[in-house]
Amino acid sequence: MTDNAHIPAETLALHALAALDSAESAAVRAHLAQCEACRAELARARGDLALVAMSVDQRPLPEGARERFLGRITEQAGSASQSAPAVVIPITAKPHAKRAAAWPALSGWLAAAALLLVSAGLGLKIRTLSRQLDATAQQLDAQIDHNRHAHQVLDLLTAPTAQHVMLTAGKTPPAPSARAVYLAARGALVLEASNLKPLPPAKAYELWVIPASGAAPIPAGLFWPDATGNASVVMPKIPWGVAAKAFGVTIENDAGSATPTAPIVLAGAAPAPGD
Amino acid sequence: MTENPPNPNATTERSLHRSSESGDAIRITEADDQWLLEGVQLKDQKAMATLFDRYSGMVYSVALRVLKDQGHAEDIMQEVFFQVWQNPQAFVPRRGSLAAWLLVVTRNRAVDALRRRRPSDSVDDVVLAAAENIAVESERRALMEKARLALAKLSPEQQQSIELAFFEGMSHSEIAERTGDPLGTVKTRIRSALLSVRRAFQP
Repeated sequence: MTDNAHIPAETLALHALAALDSAESAAVRAHLAQCEACRAELARARGDLALVAMSVDQRPLPEGARERFLGRITEQAGSASQSAPAVVIPITAKPHAKRAAAWPALSGWLAAAALLLVSAGLGLKIRTLSRQLDATAQQLDAQIDHNRHAHQVLDLLTAPTAQHVMLTAGKTPPAPSARAVYLAARGALVLEASNLKPLPPAKAYELWVIPASGAAPIPAGLFWPDATGNASVVMPKIPWGVAAKAFGVTIENDAGSATPTAPIVLAGAAPAPGD
Repeated sequence: MTENPPNPNATTERSLHRSSESGDAIRITEADDQWLLEGVQLKDQKAMATLFDRYSGMVYSVALRVLKDQGHAEDIMQEVFFQVWQNPQAFVPRRGSLAAWLLVVTRNRAVDALRRRRPSDSVDDVVLAAAENIAVESERRALMEKARLALAKLSPEQQQSIELAFFEGMSHSEIAERTGDPLGTVKTRIRSALLSVRRAFQP
């Protein structure tokens, strides 16, 4: 084992396990101190050991172990805060040789003042960090609430057991219809369709975004109605920032199509954003 | 930032508690051991308690498997977590996942105690490569099951080598003496066993 030759992986695995004899172990350490490649291989071997450790069956902690640990850190935190005043330098009066002691006394006061400033600075830093932590936690809270609400909306729109009820003016026979919600800036689109007719075999409904620019229609997802004729498309992968003139639904082969096939079974013009 | 912020600890607790009610939110908070360690650096006892609750079972179980004594195993667990409390900087993210680091440090400390020898490594020296993030309970359980399966697939000889080297802390020469196998065979067998476990976790 020399500085020029890397340590065999087998030996590094044994070193990770602390299973080498002391002389071999010392030689490995000396090599590792100057060999990045062998340190990396040792790190991988230790990663393997972590995997072996994970195989151990889980056992419950002894009763009171958690309380003992928390008590220990509480005690340590308390003793640390109690020991903090110890940094104050005691200044003792020297009745003799007053003139000679003037500068040391002054420097003592200066040191104490400096320490007070440092302590104040550290206190301020801790308060600032605590506030930052608090602000981050509050942001996280808000984000969690936002996510939960979004999930609830999506769950409602996509739940197979949700009741879809079309309200009409009179006893008109139910006709296929759909409602699309589109946010061009984010490429976000949700479509909820009702009363769709069953599809022939190997066919699918396909949603299209008709760009306002006059560009070719953009496919925005295949969907199949359930037994009651309901279906939805939620957040299909479409480009961002495409202003839509209209939306359309066609019947295509169930693999989808690059261009819409007539007839358009459902269509709707998009109002101006925000209308 | 508010003018009169509430107790940061209380806010942290609320965030952690509420996050457990929603699937994605669990990832946001539970995945972030580093965030908790930053709290530990600020001496946030709730952050330390969360890390303890998350990993103490694994750490204690490894120590118990090696030492086969509840009292000694708890001593090792307390020592390992107290080191985290006192010196959270000893673990840095580039050293792999916190859980993997805790497990290796615990195993080494337990073997040192078993063999009644001085600690073989400082915790600052334990650098490991482990990509698995097992802060989330369900992922932790899945990885444990995968590890058990990987070890169960080893040959009986490989399993015995891992048992003697990893859990009993025997040196390769002691293993060779115990099993009657040549030293080279023991070395190769241990390495190949560890590689098999590693491969079981590769995509």
